[in-house]
Amino acid sequence: MSSTKAAKGRDAKTPAEHVPHPLLPFLQSQSQNTLTRLYQRPSACLSIFRLLGPLERQLVMNLLWLESAIPSLTMAAWVTPEGKILYDSSLLVLSRLHIVTNLLNPATKQSPKLNLNTTFKTSFRQAITGGGTSGSFGVPAAKDDKHPSSGVEALDAFAVERWETILHYMVSSGTGQVLAKPSAGVLYLLQRSRLMATSHGSALQITSAGFQFLLHSPHDQLWQLLLQYLHMAEERQMDLVEVLSFLFMLSTMDLGRVRNCNVEYSAESLSDTQKAMLEDLRDYGLIWQRKASSRRFSPTRLSTTLTSSLPPLPTSASTGTGTQDQGFIVLETNYRLYAYTDNPLQTAVLNLFAALKYRFQNLVVGAVTRDSVRKALANGITADQIISYLAAHAHPQMRKNNPLIPVTVQDQIRLWELERNRLKSEEGYLYTAFASQADYEYVLNYAKQLGVVVWESPAKRCFFGSLEGHANIRGFIERRTGGGGGG
Amino acid sequence: MKAIKGILLTCDSAVKQILLTMNEKESFIIEDLDDFHLVIKADEEYRVRRELETELEKNTYSLEG
Amino acid sequence: MDTASHLSVILDLSPTQWHLSSLPSNTHPLSVASFLSQLLAFLNSHVAIKHENSLAVFGALPGKSVMLYASTETGSESTELADSNTYLPFKLVDATVVERIMDELDALGDPEEEEPIALVGALTKSLCYINRVMSPSTSSAPGGGTSEDQTTLTDPRILILSVSPDLSTSYIPIMNSIFSAQKLKVTIDVCKVYGEDTVFLQQAAHLTGGSYIYLERRDALLQYLIMSNLPPPPLRLLLSVPTQDKIDFRAACFCHKNIIDVGFVCSVCLSIFCQPIPVCSTCRTKFPMKTLRRLNEAMPPGARNPAGTPSRATPAPTASGRGTPAPGGPGRGAPVPSGSGRGTPTPGGPGRGGSNGSSRPPGGSSITAGLANNLR
Repeated sequence: MSSTKAAKGRDAKTPAEHVPHPLLPFLQSQSQNTLTRLYQRPSACLSIFRLLGPLERQLVMNLLWLESAIPSLTMAAWVTPEGKILYDSSLLVLSRLHIVTNLLNPATKQSPKLNLNTTFKTSFRQAITGGGTSGSFGVPAAKDDKHPSSGVEALDAFAVERWETILHYMVSSGTGQVLAKPSAGVLYLLQRSRLMATSHGSALQITSAGFQFLLHSPHDQLWQLLLQYLHMAEERQMDLVEVLSFLFMLSTMDLGRVRNCNVEYSAESLSDTQKAMLEDLRDYGLIWQRKASSRRFSPTRLSTTLTSSLPPLPTSASTGTGTQDQGFIVLETNYRLYAYTDNPLQTAVLNLFAALKYRFQNLVVGAVTRDSVRKALANGITADQIISYLAAHAHPQMRKNNPLIPVTVQDQIRLWELERNRLKSEEGYLYTAFASQADYEYVLNYAKQLGVVVWESPAKRCFFGSLEGHANIRGFIERRTGGGGGG
Repeated sequence: MKAIKGILLTCDSAVKQILLTMNEKESFIIEDLDDFHLVIKADEEYRVRRELETELEKNTYSLEG
Repeated sequence: MDTASHLSVILDLSPTQWHLSSLPSNTHPLSVASFLSQLLAFLNSHVAIKHENSLAVFGALPGKSVMLYASTETGSESTELADSNTYLPFKLVDATVVERIMDELDALGDPEEEEPIALVGALTKSLCYINRVMSPSTSSAPGGGTSEDQTTLTDPRILILSVSPDLSTSYIPIMNSIFSAQKLKVTIDVCKVYGEDTVFLQQAAHLTGGSYIYLERRDALLQYLIMSNLPPPPLRLLLSVPTQDKIDFRAACFCHKNIIDVGFVCSVCLSIFCQPIPVCSTCRTKFPMKTLRRLNEAMPPGARNPAGTPSRATPAPTASGRGTPAPGGPGRGAPVPSGSGRGTPTPGGPGRGGSNGSSRPPGGSSITAGLANNLR
């Protein structure tokens, strides 16, 4: 079963499991000029460094303090045979990000030399050793005695409230409930990322991508939205470097490390673009400001965990016991599901794929049924997403089980998914009644070259071609019959 | 040689038998190709799928039902 | 693979050794100040690797050991530390470590005779610390595995930066620490910054699967540390780190705490002695007089010493070969790896007897004779 395979993989800790961070492809698509400007900021270097894979990070570290380029053969000699593939792909990622320069000198025919991008090297060294005048880690605001800064709990509560408003709005958009609406900026973002859509001017409705989104981890959700934000920033003529470096600055800021009260940062030193971002990020719950015009801001846990794998929303405000990071779902082999939560959002998400029966103060009881799963599948959620959501939020008590999710339930959910796909359809044309076998093969070969043959039967001397190939095939036959006079 | 516009359905043989039975009531099959493939009229797909769904639902049993 | 890792660094802060190390007569003099600046860059690198990485720093001082820094215990008054040019966690580490080291060194005063370095104390403290920070996730929640213990503290490591020579009296406690480390699945890395190879720390690195490097180019300390001690254990499967080709497996005798080439092992409790004795001092087992006499005669001539203090073991002729690739210094910039980075350690050497058949680590290969089979 796939679950045992996954468990084995975890034990072996095969590095191939590392999934590249969603931001990296976006960065790779940027021009070298943009990246070099970004690398001028130590905080950006540190954050990007943290988004890299483990081997990539080590390679950067190995190169960081070297003054001159080293032959890549020398570096490769450190790699074990098992690590070769990963090493090569790591170097590729680094050179695509323009972090490592792979100096190939065809004239001298020497082996290529590895070096860090000079800008990156300078800034990252500065990040490690401190100092400099870049101010890229955020300028702390002077103590404000009139308004003592709010505690970490208040910030967490704010972030959770903002974030859950967004998710709750999405999940309940189909049910007709009237809920607190997120701001227009957020709604636009949701629409642009195709998580929600309007049909014929009606109210926003959640899309199948949106349903899938709801089952992701908060960290993935956050980055998915931020990536969309970055794409939009390009259209809005915002300077991408400013936008990115502000996000990275936030991710290196401090939350509650000092005496459990947050440091407030001054907005004065921000660029105009970044000041404009304050409002957007406030709507997403990434930063907190006393009031919109305030000249200081505090990052919330959502932003300070951007480059880590810590849960961005450690404790939900409404679940006092912090069940969110603990996991709250117990699923039995008889398909019964017990969810220890009083969080309406979690209940609503469960309702996407489970039939809920009873609700108590801190407990929701339901069952995974054929109908409930089919409803979820119809919404575009896949069986794997349901299973991985259940696994990610499993109650500690359930984690004793191996495999985590009862095999019966897992298999059944997958079977229900397969059941929906008993009938596959493809529109096109059936070509039949060929005069001769040679004719048939001649046309069939042409269609195969086009790659449009869906089904063929030499015995019946007919084949089925997809719709898009029809014009070409008809033209082909007409040319032939016109020219050769046969058929 | 001729070309017929239609929709190619790929299914398992059980579903195909149900489709053949449905075809007896109201004809929609253009060509019965083999055990797993049928060509049907292009504008009938939605109706066929819906009817097949109801037919298959009859064969599933739930605790509540 | 991409999980947070814990690193405990143990600093050997012997004033005498550091003074010797900084003398210009060395090929590459290294003073405490430049050592610290390279160390701090290394500590910051560990913190930089991952947001969740945790770090603890212990100091081994003459006669006492202290915890200098622990990332789980936040500093006291540090609001003033906030600085727009430095990542706050880095600043916290650096400021705390430097300040505490200065305090401790000042507090040492000027004793006439320096007490031995409390390396064992620091090692034990760091093991206790690792045990403490690892256990909450396993003991508190009845369910055991919460999402928390997947993100916190896997692959704990200890890095010992040693400048002092072996202290043969601490053989038994060091071995016991090694066993605890094995049990806790802690990897012990050793970097010998100054002085001769240490036998015990070589064994510590070998037995816990860590890397032992003898710093040949001391101006390149940071590069050495980054290349061989920064990668967490899972990564070391892909990027080799230097290990030893040959390890000095010699043990210290229980009676005089001398490092010995040939020893006598009690057949009951496996205690090691430098000469045949009638009664085992550990388990009180009595050995027959006859075998005692026979063993005395069998002793190598140099080692026979009726006064009870056998001649100090000669430096092992075959042991302590190093398989360390030499990472290039920042100045030169050319790491020179060697294939021997993965060399399998060969126990003992020719003429020192093969394995003594005991799987108990104190009975290293060097102990040839035994009191075994002498009991009736």
